[in-house]
Amino acid sequence: MEAVLEQVEQLPALLAVSRSALVRDWDSLTLDRALEWARYFQHLHDRFRTRPRLREALGRRLRRGQRSPLLGFPNLGRCPQLLGLALLENRALPPAACRRLIHSLLCPGGAEPGPEPRSLALLARRKAASRLLALPRPPEGLEPQVQAEAQLLLSRLREEGQEAQPAGEAAGSLRWLSGVLEQLPQRRAFGVVAAALLLRQESGAEQAGGGERVGNSLNGNQVSATEEDLAGPLLAWLLENMERFSAFCLFLPGSLLASLAGHYSQLNRPYLDLLTGWGSGLLYDPLQGRWVKRCLDKAVLSWEELRERFSCLCQGSDLVKAQTQAALKLLKAQGGDFNVRGLSVWTDLLMELEEYLRKEAER
Amino acid sequence: MAQDTAVPKLNFEYWLDKAIEWGQATTLESQKDVCLHLPQLQEFLHQLYETLKHMDSIAAIQQFPLIGQLLGRLCWNPFVIGYDESQKTLMWCLCCLYSSEPQNPVELKANSWIRSLLCHLLSSSKWESSEAETSAFISTLGYTSADYYCHLVKSMVFSLVTELRGNQFSELNIQGRVSTSRLNAVSLFCVPLITLPDLTPLVETLLLYHGGASKEILSSEFLEAVNEAFLKKKISLSESAVFSLWLRHLPSLEKATLYLLDQLVSVQMNSLEEVACVMKDLLLPQAASHPAIFRIVNEIFKNAVLETDGAPEVMTIIQVFTQLFLQGHQNEYKQHKFPLKTYFPHHHQPLVAALLRRPFELPTTHWAEHLKHISHMLKALVEDPNSSSLADLFEIWFLVARFGEWLDIAVEQLLKAAAESDALLWLLAFYYCPQNENQQRTQTMVEAQAVYNHLMRLFSCTVLSVKDLEAAVPSVKDVEQCCSKHLITHLLTNFLLFSSGGHMIAQEFIDHITETTDTSKEVCSLLIRTAYRINRSGEENQRTLKLLNELLQKLTLKV
Repeated sequence: MEAVLEQVEQLPALLAVSRSALVRDWDSLTLDRALEWARYFQHLHDRFRTRPRLREALGRRLRRGQRSPLLGFPNLGRCPQLLGLALLENRALPPAACRRLIHSLLCPGGAEPGPEPRSLALLARRKAASRLLALPRPPEGLEPQVQAEAQLLLSRLREEGQEAQPAGEAAGSLRWLSGVLEQLPQRRAFGVVAAALLLRQESGAEQAGGGERVGNSLNGNQVSATEEDLAGPLLAWLLENMERFSAFCLFLPGSLLASLAGHYSQLNRPYLDLLTGWGSGLLYDPLQGRWVKRCLDKAVLSWEELRERFSCLCQGSDLVKAQTQAALKLLKAQGGDFNVRGLSVWTDLLMELEEYLRKEAER
Repeated sequence: MAQDTAVPKLNFEYWLDKAIEWGQATTLESQKDVCLHLPQLQEFLHQLYETLKHMDSIAAIQQFPLIGQLLGRLCWNPFVIGYDESQKTLMWCLCCLYSSEPQNPVELKANSWIRSLLCHLLSSSKWESSEAETSAFISTLGYTSADYYCHLVKSMVFSLVTELRGNQFSELNIQGRVSTSRLNAVSLFCVPLITLPDLTPLVETLLLYHGGASKEILSSEFLEAVNEAFLKKKISLSESAVFSLWLRHLPSLEKATLYLLDQLVSVQMNSLEEVACVMKDLLLPQAASHPAIFRIVNEIFKNAVLETDGAPEVMTIIQVFTQLFLQGHQNEYKQHKFPLKTYFPHHHQPLVAALLRRPFELPTTHWAEHLKHISHMLKALVEDPNSSSLADLFEIWFLVARFGEWLDIAVEQLLKAAAESDALLWLLAFYYCPQNENQQRTQTMVEAQAVYNHLMRLFSCTVLSVKDLEAAVPSVKDVEQCCSKHLITHLLTNFLLFSSGGHMIAQEFIDHITETTDTSKEVCSLLIRTAYRINRSGEENQRTLKLLNELLQKLTLKV
């Protein structure tokens, strides 16, 4: 067993080399050996997948020596594809090795008659499908690209959750998540996190669409336990930094935030606090007869935007609606409890909302 | 998809011209043209690969100097890459062109170009700027582009399905409606992807989508391609989606019906269970519970009968189809059910009702009586001077023929029960000889009656010889009327199966008549039908079943 563990420990190095300029010296024999290793790792994965203690041991060894846990046990199963595609993209690979690579990856009767050639054809087909289906779409909801990225993030979080981690590593996994999300432009990362939180809610036992290899290492009874924890790191990342959370809430549409607040009570309070802050930043302009921004600060919502967000919250679950209204009433009371427009932004908001809700109820 | 434009083998220039003309398929016209040519292009790519795989890259480029242009253009056409196995063959061709020891700048450049194309096909690559971040993100997560595109396609499908379903229920909301041109485009873009399992929910949603428009909104290329893929079993779809396809697209229904007939006639079936299975797999009997579909299928069956002159295989197929249809109809929930007369609107309803009774619904002792009733109604209809046009006659005959199980029972009853023989013989004479212009039917009756009387005398003899039977039908070979011949064959076959002494000589006698006359197929059909009927009735008749199986085994080898 120790021999196997030592071999597994080499995987990160193998993948790192395949992405580096070191492959410049590879000939076709080196390449064959590398691919054989990849298949061997896949074989290990398939063999130990259903044996928790062994997979845990392999996973632990795999993490040893990596700064942050980038690779885990499930990566063993994806090894041939990870390695193959990394090498294909690596321009330093010399022609003889490259020819061997594309032949064994793609050609009929290549080195391995296994699932690889078919799955790469399927990949090309799916990529073309994503081009064909990328029609202009109605603006509501998050883009499919964002959804797909969120699915991958969730799958990975699920895998992480499966690797039994010693307590106290929460900080480590938050750092890891930050590192991953930093790969994306901030707004995109916000979309991905929001989509992941909502998808987690929708998919429950259905397991996030189930990719080919993604997430198929899970089996039913483990899902429910880990599913609960999946949102944890995402919420922690959002709330860790108020500036980030504020940008998140400013960027995403009110309907989406309202449904997040409905699903995750942890978000509800901070979101209301943010809205309160933004509302206090509005001034009543008696000449125009409306609420305007105190200064031309971009990080503040306009009156219309603020009202839209509150009305989204009031369309949500009964609980969120009640909490929202209670918060507004409290703010109104604190502001002197006037029932006249133009004195307190909360009075005005509450009046408009109540009128809106009355109209809704009549319809 | 159309296969009519015959293209000479390996017509390189033809496809290069096409590839140039299509570009990246951005106009509707070019998209439709690509869809039309996809199967042929795939065939061409296969041939090209077969040629290339025996050459090295230098020889390949010498023989096809423009191959780079052709493959490169095709790689950028998502319709081509999305279609069936074209992407695979294209990549194989690219592999063949890659040289392991590039000797000159041209080969070096070609190698680099091939790698770019492969990356373009396979990776969410750094070379496509819009996806640069995605690429870094997925590799940081430890996934590959294969995982990403798997999820991306599913998300896109899910988003389109949600949009379409939401639309279906908000027809009043004009603003929210998906425009017809958008739907048409979606359906066209699905054409190459139909056999990709990820797409199935979208394909089904499209098939079930009915906008307010009276004209078909989905592209005909899409409807044809779905039908084709379904018939060839390349995809599986829900029943309701298939029914909806056939209801909205007549050519597909016609094609499916002809495909079914063709499949059943061209392949030797050893039992009607098999036939029933093929039919149910294709969902046609189930679909026929929609009266509109039933009518079309009925018309096609009628034509098949006319064209084949009532070939026994075709008649048997139609009978099994009708039985399955009735079975399905019976199993349907009451509230969705159309009354049975909807399906046979122009017929004498009491006759329809009598024929629709399924044998097992009546005690066997009532069969002869029921058949007599049918025979009398028929006779009255046929001999009514007011409704005796040839077309009317054919309609009545076809109605009786589809319920052919009752005719087989009539023969069995004649021999076993010897009851109502006049009426039953008339019924059979009508089936085999619907016209009586020159008294053919009267003549048939006379001939059949003679044979029948003779057979009845032999029915209880335990020991029989082929000679005895030949004496009963001295003239099977010489009977001039072919209608009589069929009827007598029907009587004889049943005599062999059900009489006391028939079993002993069955094999010998059947060999005899199938050798001297051209009746193998006919006898085969009769036996297969009888086996099916006995099997389904659950009747304890092991001796007859065993004989039937032996006879069929031998006979199917001959047919």
